[in-house]
Amino acid sequence: MRAVYGIVAREFVRFWRQRGRVLASIGRPFVWLVFAGGGFAAVFAGRSEIDYRVYMAPGLLGMVVMFGSLLAALSTVTDREAGVLRMVLVAPIRRSTVAFGKTLGATLLGTAQAIVVAAILLPCVQLRPTLAGMLLGLVALVLSGLALGALGVVLAASIRSIENFAGVMNFVVFPMLFLSGALYPVRHLGPVLRAVAYVNPLAYGVDLLKHALLSRWAGAGYGGELPAPLDCAALALFAIVGLAVAAPLLGREGGVTRAAFRDRR
Amino acid sequence: MTAAAIDARGLGKDFGAVRALDRLDLEIRDGEFFGLLGPNGAGKTTTVHLLATLLAPSRGTARVAEHDVVREGLAVRRSIGLVFQDTTLDRDLTVGENLRFAARLWSLPDRVARPRIDALLHQFELRERRDDPVRTLSGGMRRAADIARGILHEPRILFLDEPTAGLDPRARRSLWEQIRALRAASGLTVLLTTHYVEEAEPCDRVAVLDRGRLAALGTPPELKRAVGATSLEEAFLAHTGHHLAETDGG
Repeated sequence: MRAVYGIVAREFVRFWRQRGRVLASIGRPFVWLVFAGGGFAAVFAGRSEIDYRVYMAPGLLGMVVMFGSLLAALSTVTDREAGVLRMVLVAPIRRSTVAFGKTLGATLLGTAQAIVVAAILLPCVQLRPTLAGMLLGLVALVLSGLALGALGVVLAASIRSIENFAGVMNFVVFPMLFLSGALYPVRHLGPVLRAVAYVNPLAYGVDLLKHALLSRWAGAGYGGELPAPLDCAALALFAIVGLAVAAPLLGREGGVTRAAFRDRR
Repeated sequence: MTAAAIDARGLGKDFGAVRALDRLDLEIRDGEFFGLLGPNGAGKTTTVHLLATLLAPSRGTARVAEHDVVREGLAVRRSIGLVFQDTTLDRDLTVGENLRFAARLWSLPDRVARPRIDALLHQFELRERRDDPVRTLSGGMRRAADIARGILHEPRILFLDEPTAGLDPRARRSLWEQIRALRAASGLTVLLTTHYVEEAEPCDRVAVLDRGRLAALGTPPELKRAVGATSLEEAFLAHTGHHLAETDGG
């Protein structure tokens, strides 16, 4: 559909024009690889069958897709503040189409960033995935992008202004990252944190990425922890529920007429 | 006889305890240049947003281009163009990119959109600014681009919500020139909201809105004659009991 294409194309033009965002998204995982990876690898040196930096690679790709998709979807908040969302909402398209367009744009952006990072990161840590692994990895990136993009649109439609953004980063993004299995296996967590991890879409995405990239270490307990089909189903479910929730929230009256209403005070 | 472009019956909207619009009855004919005049907070923008399906009415009904605003939102939105009080353009995109984005949102095929965008950029004297980010445009140019965006899909009805707000006199004059040319060329129905009395003078008919209620309705001469006023400003005072500026809380 043309409107969806328009929304997606705009996301890409905007992203490409913000050079800082491009560099940050490509550079961020390598900062983690060098500083967090270097430190943890030293702590665990000689005690495990896998180099910590190799173990980290799927998690870092998950992180790239999370930041890429979530931040792109959260730009809906800026769209509202700048008024662009009104142009979209007065167009003859359904709210669900708007939510889907935003989510798809976020997904494709996040996936593209993760592919670029993977092309540099995997040779760096000397990880050579099989063709099947690469394909499964791509599925993991797209599904994670959809789930996180939909979540981002829901968050963006719920938070009132860009000032709440820091709160989202502290209470959503960082817990999601730490409880995703990106930095340590989820099975080592206590029961409460583990339960929280399983309502975290990124945990399923990272798990699927481990199936794709770390299958060689599955026997030693560093591969995926859940069955891959379950990961796929969970991610798809997050995406569908997210989209269903986001659509009515986006069209909510406050988003459009808040400014007019404020004038009355 | 053709059906009305806009037909509102007892249309009203509450925001919590605030009654933004009481019960509005309004019929706007096809091709009419209609003014909605009133101070800030009179319910003008609320009326426009109700008619544009961006708000759900608390009571009453309205038909826009013969479609019900509650049940046929998509059909209504397909028939209207809306230029908001504040710009809706993406400041980081160029003028051309903004129009292309709008064309896609309205599902216009590229072969239809491209010549139309060219023509509109020419008409609104934005041709040289096509590849400049909207951020770098003056207020008047931005508003012109907003209007170009609003009529790109050739709507039957155009809503202009306080289109001259924040523009300097020269930009205002050229804006009115453009609106006049548009109406002459296409027979477009225009609903204009304003709190400037002089902007309502050229309208075919004017509705005076005050505190969410319709205070008067008629042609500018009728409104003046009814109260023996020589200017629309005086007429407004007589119809509402106060000056426009007094309730201008803005």
